[in-house]
Amino acid sequence: MKRRRLTTMVVLVLLIGTYLYSAGRLVLRRGPAVVDPGIEVIRYAHWQIEPGVREAFNEIAADYMALHPKVRVEQMDIPGRAWKQWLRTGLIGGTAPDLVELASYENPDDMLARYFTPITTYLEQPNPYNADEPDLRGLSWRQSYTAELVPVEGVHYFSTNLLEYYGAPSAMVTVRMFYNRRLIQEAIGEDRPPRTYDEFVALCAALQRHAEVTHAPVAPLAGSWFNVTQITDGLFSAASQRVALTLDISHDLEMSKVEGLINYARGRWSLTTPAIRTGLQTVEAFGRYLPPGWSQLNREDAMMQFLQGRAAMLATGTWDAGGILRQADFPVGAFKMPAFRRDDPKYGRWTLGPLSEANTFAGVPFGLTRTSRHPERAIDFLRFLTSRKSNAKFSRISTWLPVIKGVPVPKGSESFRPVEEGYVGGVNIRFFSGEANQVVLQYLYLLSGNAASADAFITQTRVPFDRVFRGELDRLARVSRETLRQKDSVLAGLYQLEAGTGLARAKFDRLAANQLTVEAERLRSLRTLADYPGK
Amino acid sequence: MLNSWVNQPRPQQPAVAWFFRPAAWMKGIIALGLAGVAHAAPAADEGWQDLAGYLFRDAHDAFTREPAGADRRRALGAAAGLLNEPPVSPGKVADVESQLRQLLADKAADEPAIYARYLLARIAHLHRPAEIAEIEAAYRAVITAAPAHPLAQLAAGKLALVLLYQRPDLPVPARIAAAAELAPVAGSGQLPETACIYYRVLAEAALYYDVLDERTLGWLQRAEAVGPRDVMTATSLRIQLAEVARALGHREAALGYYRSYLATAARTDSRYHTVAERMADLAKEAK
Repeated sequence: MKRRRLTTMVVLVLLIGTYLYSAGRLVLRRGPAVVDPGIEVIRYAHWQIEPGVREAFNEIAADYMALHPKVRVEQMDIPGRAWKQWLRTGLIGGTAPDLVELASYENPDDMLARYFTPITTYLEQPNPYNADEPDLRGLSWRQSYTAELVPVEGVHYFSTNLLEYYGAPSAMVTVRMFYNRRLIQEAIGEDRPPRTYDEFVALCAALQRHAEVTHAPVAPLAGSWFNVTQITDGLFSAASQRVALTLDISHDLEMSKVEGLINYARGRWSLTTPAIRTGLQTVEAFGRYLPPGWSQLNREDAMMQFLQGRAAMLATGTWDAGGILRQADFPVGAFKMPAFRRDDPKYGRWTLGPLSEANTFAGVPFGLTRTSRHPERAIDFLRFLTSRKSNAKFSRISTWLPVIKGVPVPKGSESFRPVEEGYVGGVNIRFFSGEANQVVLQYLYLLSGNAASADAFITQTRVPFDRVFRGELDRLARVSRETLRQKDSVLAGLYQLEAGTGLARAKFDRLAANQLTVEAERLRSLRTLADYPGK
Repeated sequence: MLNSWVNQPRPQQPAVAWFFRPAAWMKGIIALGLAGVAHAAPAADEGWQDLAGYLFRDAHDAFTREPAGADRRRALGAAAGLLNEPPVSPGKVADVESQLRQLLADKAADEPAIYARYLLARIAHLHRPAEIAEIEAAYRAVITAAPAHPLAQLAAGKLALVLLYQRPDLPVPARIAAAAELAPVAGSGQLPETACIYYRVLAEAALYYDVLDERTLGWLQRAEAVGPRDVMTATSLRIQLAEVARALGHREAALGYYRSYLATAARTDSRYHTVAERMADLAKEAK
């Protein structure tokens, strides 16, 4: 009885204690800061929580606030997993920050049109924060960018449907192989990245031998589906460049995704095409050095393997460079995955050479929301952020590549610089659709381990790929029908707005031309599906 | 400088301050008096802006806030907004069709009628199932009604696509020839960007059907002569011209097009090195 009363007392005390603690926390909690009405608050949000990026943004914001004491700039770093829901809630509720990072896959056209302000007219004016730069002061803000923000499909800063710029980018990233210089030195006696694909495979073999001899649990490569596909993408593509040129229907030296799918449906290539098989064999060659169970691991696991010295190399985007350099307690090097040579007897027959990275476009663009209370101020901060001085600072602190003309690539990031001298890409079976990617990921394990076999991969995936590739052609036709339909209404609006001032070369004309191009591609896909019904 | 529809910051004022100012009262009375007169025009402009900005529901609301009455442009705007107002449904498409037909029945030759006729053709082609013969007839009706109108040029371009890809009953050469016959309208200089793409579409259809001849090169040349503003279209055209000229054995012309591409290619064009090498190979062949 006594014991029961004691228990009740303990529970009661715990409950009251918890209540008092929570109440105290609520009472003592800091409320939202009271802002002087004379202070303009600019908030900008992004999902780049990689080490170095936030610090770089903070320093630039501090510089801006020192220059403009009546302005407060607040950075909001939102984790990628919560980004989509967070952004949509903010946009719909009218509480989104002034500036928001844009990505074409996150911000469809209707979202851009409804919630963001086009910044094309701003980009065509000079950036006043470059006024002290003799070579930039006469250029527009857009022209101050290294690649002058070419408005092509797929970039995050321009909408090819709305024909407007929506974002001003701040950085650029590429994919590189990061390596533990100490482990490489120990394994091959020198700290030298491989120059050819054969040397890369030989390095993997040497690292594995070294691990066996020293009984050190070190894998040549950090494995996860994400990191491995960073390697395979380049290999698939480089092994089949010459074939891609034969599949390029429009003769513009660039096989588009739709051209690849159309020619697959027409039976002009398949997984057994020698160049495609060769691409798979290149993976087979290094796949045997992947750690067991790699296909079940994710990016974070692979990063951990590398940082803990349990893997000698890690293929990833240079967005991870800052984190790697800060956290690794060993010297780190980086190299671009070497290409095969044309005279390579095993893999060189259908290759042209290293893949060009010239089309690496500027990323991390910030867009101006329509609900911004201080749009002019927000644009002014964006200009400051992307001025030559600030971009140099951003690049130095984050280690990410600069995007403004004349900004030097920071020391240590030279190997991240896009290689512009390379050749056009080939056929990458993973890139044709989300489902194609899933098929590759599901069966990629067949190209790894001691029993790695390109033929086994082909046998297992031929049927799924047949279904997936034809399905994708059909899906693309359905999706483009929706955008084509929308453009009929949009053109009606543009016609009424522009007919009075002349339609030639106006937005109406340009959008009508764009619609004709897309419609031609759609009907070509449907013609193919009808003429080649498959099995 | 900001577009007018961007929210502007407002100076902070006590909410009731205006109540005690006679000038504010006067302004209010005048504004109320003018509101009825001034409302119609801004709503229509707002509607066209909304349509141009993919905001179809907003556009439809703007055009239907007041009865269209005799304002045929407003009725056209309402129909164009409803056509894509989410959720898009066959019922709405049918309503739009009947509204457009009514516009045509009331007057057959003014601007709203021309646009209504074009939209009816588009609806038949893309927004509801229709027989190919009906689609063709609808586009031809737009062209015949006002052959010099920019919408006739648009219709001719679309008709070319129907002939190229949706007439399997025709042999391939007949498809291409029929589409090419539309050049006087589809290639008109009224809409140069559209004309350029029409010629490119002809050439690419021929290449799709494995037809690579002098006509293919000619269409690409006409596309280039019109001159697209878009950087990537312009540079791609130069490569297409070079590759097709090369395939036809016009070595000097091909070298010229390659050179022209290399002189104008954007820094982000990943084809630069490949083109340079192909040009060098061709130049060597010439020796």
